Amino acid sequence: MTVAADSLAERMRSIVGAGNVLSSPSDLLVYECDGFTIEKNKPDVVVFPNSTADIVAIVKACGELGVPFVPRGAGTSLAGGCLPVGGGVMIALTRMKRILEVNYRDRYAVIEPGVVNLWLTNHLKPQGFHFAPDPSSQGACTIGGNIATNSGGPHTLKYGVTVNHVLGVELVLPDGQVVRSGGPTEDNPGYDLTGVIVGSEGTFGVAAKAWVRITRNPEAYRTLLGVFETVDDATNTISDIIGAGIIPGALEMLDSLILEAVEAAFHFGFPLDAGAVLIMEVDGLDAGLDQDAERIVEIARKNKAREVRKANTEAERLLLWKSRKQAFGAVGRLAPSYCTQDGVVPRTKLPEVLRAIQRIGAKYNLRIANVFHAGDGNIHPILLFDERDAEQVKRVLAASNEILDECIRLGGSVTGEHGIGVEKIDFMPKLFAPEDLAMMMRLRSAFNPDDRCSPHKMLPTAGACIERSHAGRHAAM
Amino acid sequence: MNDTLMNSTTCVIDGFGPLPLVRPNSVADLGDLVRAAAASKSALYPVGGQTKTALGMPPTRPGRTIDLRGLAQVIDFPARDMTITVQAGITMQALRDILEKEKLRLPIDVPEADRATLGGVLATNTSGPRRYGYGTMRDYVIGISALNDEGNEFKAGGRVVKNVAGYDLCKLLVGSLGTLGIITQVTLKLRPLAEQQAVFGLGCESAQLETLLRCLHESRTRPVCLEVLNQAAARIAYTHANLAIPESPWTVLVGYEGNGDAVSWQVQQLVKEVGTDCSLEARVDFPAMPLCHALCEFAAAPHHAVTFKANLLPSEVAAFCVAADQGPLRPAVRAHAGSGIVYGNWSADLTKEQAGSILTTWRERARQGAVIVQRCPSDWKAGLNVWGPAPHDVALMHAIKAKFDPNRIFNPGRFVDGI
Ligand SMILES: Cc1cc2nc3c(=O)[nH]c(=O)nc-3n(C[C@H](O)[C@H](O)[C@H](O)COP(=O)(O)OP(=O)(O)OC[C@H]3O[C@@H](n4cnc5c(N)ncnc54)[C@H](O)[C@@H]3O)c2cc1C
Repeated sequence: MTVAADSLAERMRSIVGAGNVLSSPSDLLVYECDGFTIEKNKPDVVVFPNSTADIVAIVKACGELGVPFVPRGAGTSLAGGCLPVGGGVMIALTRMKRILEVNYRDRYAVIEPGVVNLWLTNHLKPQGFHFAPDPSSQGACTIGGNIATNSGGPHTLKYGVTVNHVLGVELVLPDGQVVRSGGPTEDNPGYDLTGVIVGSEGTFGVAAKAWVRITRNPEAYRTLLGVFETVDDATNTISDIIGAGIIPGALEMLDSLILEAVEAAFHFGFPLDAGAVLIMEVDGLDAGLDQDAERIVEIARKNKAREVRKANTEAERLLLWKSRKQAFGAVGRLAPSYCTQDGVVPRTKLPEVLRAIQRIGAKYNLRIANVFHAGDGNIHPILLFDERDAEQVKRVLAASNEILDECIRLGGSVTGEHGIGVEKIDFMPKLFAPEDLAMMMRLRSAFNPDDRCSPHKMLPTAGACIERSHAGRHAAM
Repeated sequence: MNDTLMNSTTCVIDGFGPLPLVRPNSVADLGDLVRAAAASKSALYPVGGQTKTALGMPPTRPGRTIDLRGLAQVIDFPARDMTITVQAGITMQALRDILEKEKLRLPIDVPEADRATLGGVLATNTSGPRRYGYGTMRDYVIGISALNDEGNEFKAGGRVVKNVAGYDLCKLLVGSLGTLGIITQVTLKLRPLAEQQAVFGLGCESAQLETLLRCLHESRTRPVCLEVLNQAAARIAYTHANLAIPESPWTVLVGYEGNGDAVSWQVQQLVKEVGTDCSLEARVDFPAMPLCHALCEFAAAPHHAVTFKANLLPSEVAAFCVAADQGPLRPAVRAHAGSGIVYGNWSADLTKEQAGSILTTWRERARQGAVIVQRCPSDWKAGLNVWGPAPHDVALMHAIKAKFDPNRIFNPGRFVDGI
């Protein structure tokens, strides 16, 4: 059953009021894509619910009218998770942005899905707490989006990803039922539905509320910068640090090309002739940190580090982190367009995958910069190009594919934190056997039986290619 | 199917049986068993070391018990990547020995490690004192394989520590009590062994318990465990550890792990804090390391015929423990205070009627969480509602069970709300 966009908008206005519905073509333009801009499709209507009851009424109306809907947070997804495949209603959660409760004694907060990641951390700061998942996009992305994509960040290595910090979710199912999984207590009897809702990329329903863990801030940090002649020396250092029983708060690697961009932008004083640098940070109680830091310096030296610098002041440390977190922005200095990939390999395979990236770059005549979560083996090669040149775009897509294939070959995965969305659907049959995908489909059908909630995401389904504007997979630019 | 497989013995599961017991030595044989069960519409009850078969409702449908200890191989152990892929029938002790050679560990405290298997620990989501510092099984399983209702192996996750490709069936299977499929293989994320450990005992009166817990909660130190024991529980743990039994009504054990500097600073700091900041007269002693082991084995203490488990907010633990301690037949009360988990243990003197009325009282007091009967005589279970009232999301749980196991082959009826 199809329904005219006008009457759909009218129906939505009757639920949430005219001020919470967008339906004019110019207004909808903003919502035709998220951070993945290669595929675009406008929703028929964008609705901004203000409460769980609004969401229930919206999805029930969608059910009656037979239209699909897709949840959306801040739209920073890099995998096209918010793409309204086949049109329909986009449920934008950005007006549900209240922090409902913070309980420091029991260490949890209850939030609405539209709360921006960094707002929660800022809110907790006076009490010395934070929300641990820290994606580089944390100033913009919502916790609802973090939950849907199971986001990570530089500090994931020690503190875990989003799923390790979500205690419960209130979910509006596609048929309008409201279910609550988990809650502020641990070990609730029954299946761990919270554990599967996190990372389900908006295909199980709309998260309307969540109980999240809050984490005490580390008392102190020691932040070191190791300068290496080769990528191999840097990766050996990483393995040796962790092999020595030290779990750093973060272990991030930057290669020479990204250093060039970052140095031009922030003037930190990075050496421009180094093969790679490592940002190595240990955090926690002040008492044990010098011991760990000294061992790290020793390990780096043993692995032929040219020098190991220490951030001596908080200002130096913050500048170092600013250089890291805004590295993507700095890339703009190197080329008009860039495409960030998100692959994972076992940590010890980093030298191999980085050599492969170099080889692939040479083969396709592309410059590729690397800045990534080395401790987790989560690579983010940045392919530089000019999007006005269609031929270059083709080469970028082909090179991205080859890099991800290489990650699979080395025993890894095609996404460590950005998700499958529509972007990487074609890789799913490479990672998983038909039996695996069939079981995932069984799980989805328990939540979302007629696939009206964010259709054609994550799992390859028959018919997806026909309805989508472009068949196949595209890279995030 | 080979002969040894058919040449089966029998076994009783939670008072039900005897059921034929088969021990497949390969995933292919296990697949045949599942297909045979599907064809004959009979049930399968997977077991490992049978340390936790008392959990849940007794079986009600005839079928076979499957001993998974024949599937115990290490598939891949890239120690420098700090992951391991093993078959699920391996015992926790065997796994621990393999990991320790590389100075690694899975930081989950499991009693009876020489019998308990990885698959069983996963299915029951077993945890212990250090869950406060390190989390539970769900935080360590990064890849999983299991047999589905058609006898086919399926997998999810992978072998890398960070991965968001596909739905996370690992989380679904952890704690599912074998009701969705038979877990065959697991990839785990590992941690380094701690350089140093210290366990620290504080004694206090009932009236001071919450003050002490709050003080520990606000401490500058970062404990990895925060255990509360009443006198009966302390007697069991300290006897097991060959230590003098504390005299105070409550013992709070605080554990630290880390490098040498961090551990010794924390021990000193804590002495300072409980002496001054908390202004309570806590007696401090430094029990030896065997106490760690005793705390871990506590859950399997043979004198416990009946065990209840409550999951609460951490702030509710002290009052709940004190009330439980004053209840009839003085249970051994023990809590993972930082995680809000309280256990009450009774000896075989407790009657079914007494158990029923204590359970009702516990459920009234557990405002946010739930109370389950973790262990009791099998013949009590029909009248005790061991899982408690159905959780909010039970309809979805039934829907998932129906999708994964429509013919109810796997552990039918044993889990929450008859799943
Ligand atoms: C510059 C930049 C840097 C980034 N860095 C990182 C990083 O370091 N780590 C990382 O993990 N990611 C990173 N990302 C990706 C992205 O920011 C994360 O995936 C983030 O969690 C998305 O949040 P959002 O609010 O923008 O969600 P959206 O993009 O709006 O949505 C993402 C997905 O979640 C679903 N969704 C959103 N809200 C809900 C809800 N309430 N209920 C159900 N489903 C919902 C959507 O349908 C969609 O599938 C980065 C992105 C950019 C642009």
